[in-house]
Amino acid sequence: MFLAFALITLLGALGMLLQKNIIVAGLFMVAAFFGVAGLFVLLANPVAAALQLIVYSGAIMVLVLFVIMMLSSHEEEAAEVGHPIQRWLSVLLALALAAGGVTLVLASKGVRQLAERGAAMPPAVTLQGVGATLFEGHVLGFEVAGLMLLAAMVGAVALTKRNL
Amino acid sequence: MDTLASLLHMSPAVAWMVVKIVIVFSAVMILASVWTWVERRGSAMIQDRIGPNRAAIFGRIRIIGLQQLLADGIKFFFKEDLAPTDANKALFWLAPFLAFVPALMGFAVIPFGRSFTSGGHVYHLSVLDPGNGMGMLYPLAIGGLAVYGVLVAAWSSNNKWAILGGMRSSAAMVSYEIGMSLSVVALFMTTGGYDPSEIIAAQGHLPWHWNVVPHFLGFIVFFTCMFAETNRLPFDFAEGESEIVAGFNTEYGSMKFSLLALAEYAHLMTASALIATLYFGGWQVPFVANPTVALSITSFVLKLVFFAWVFVWIRWTLPRFRYDQLMHLGWKVMLPLSMVNLVFHAWRMSQGH
Repeated sequence: MFLAFALITLLGALGMLLQKNIIVAGLFMVAAFFGVAGLFVLLANPVAAALQLIVYSGAIMVLVLFVIMMLSSHEEEAAEVGHPIQRWLSVLLALALAAGGVTLVLASKGVRQLAERGAAMPPAVTLQGVGATLFEGHVLGFEVAGLMLLAAMVGAVALTKRNL
Repeated sequence: MDTLASLLHMSPAVAWMVVKIVIVFSAVMILASVWTWVERRGSAMIQDRIGPNRAAIFGRIRIIGLQQLLADGIKFFFKEDLAPTDANKALFWLAPFLAFVPALMGFAVIPFGRSFTSGGHVYHLSVLDPGNGMGMLYPLAIGGLAVYGVLVAAWSSNNKWAILGGMRSSAAMVSYEIGMSLSVVALFMTTGGYDPSEIIAAQGHLPWHWNVVPHFLGFIVFFTCMFAETNRLPFDFAEGESEIVAGFNTEYGSMKFSLLALAEYAHLMTASALIATLYFGGWQVPFVANPTVALSITSFVLKLVFFAWVFVWIRWTLPRFRYDQLMHLGWKVMLPLSMVNLVFHAWRMSQGH
């Protein structure tokens, strides 16, 4: 199961990178999101999986594809002047990021605990648990995020609407 | 059950799962295909016509035209499978499946009868057992994926009417999903749980305790949003025959078109099942505290069929909205209404009800 979802995620991400057609690339990205949602279910976190599908595949990607469809050009244009240094720089940066991520995960508390105690399936995360955590431990962050979103929304309306 | 499982060399749990999947999916498929006929006969009834009643086996046996299904199926199978020259072939083939699979998957979490115990096992009558942690988030997530069928079909046809239909549909779905989710959130709050079986158990068997009474506003919002989600008239902007030819399925023919149409009806079945589960007590039988399993299944199916008929009824009663009216209704009426519903129930709960 893990391999299947991991493959879906990786192939989706690869397809998104290599595909020249923007809409097809977007659909590959949806496949990658779906794979990540499957991984969340395997990690006993069905709430995160559902939210991943609702928010990312169900809303954000639909809006992105909507905007792309509204614009006329669906093909990526080739750069007028090649910049080979950019390519090498990006490969280097990606490698550094991957190395950093792997070292951080291997050094984390969870992995050490896993080595000591062995893997036991934790109880599945519930919606009630997520809500309680948000409002007990992270009230400030939650409210600030809400305020930021409200500000962004007001800003978007003010920018696009000429006469309020 | 156990003997059957041992005969097939499966554990009873796996055998029960397979049986449930086969029952649920074949029931939804059969209902969906029957509903293509109900739609035509129903529209005929509403418009004072007769409708399709000529199809017959051996030119003789006509059961009020029910063979029309068979005739349509055979016809669609034998039609030539065309794809436009400039279409994106792979996506053009993929789109009907992208539409069809989520439409069937959404039903998996809905309990279609009460659980029962037999031989020491508890058997739950829903494909995903209660307590799976996804609960009502699952149909919302799958509903969010359903838009890709329309979107991919629209874009891959390389036809400007199709793209217009796809764009309209994606915009409508995203705007109506917010109001729908908020009205479901109010249900989670008053129930104290988000599993469909908890929601059904909390409603009890008395019709005036069903969620439709305390959550009447939420019900109106959810019901309206279901029309937008299933792309049914008065909100079928993805198709809009009088404006954009046939919208997203302009270029589709043969079995591919048939799959798209079946996906719409399978969606309709899931939507009616959701309405029955969330607001009308699911498998609860009115005034019967402890119904038998068969009675509870009958009650659920009756509710489902009734709401599926309401979808047909409304389609042939109301004219199609204009596109700006749809957006206006979604953002300026449905969203505030569901927010009022949410705040009202939060206030009532804070008062200790």
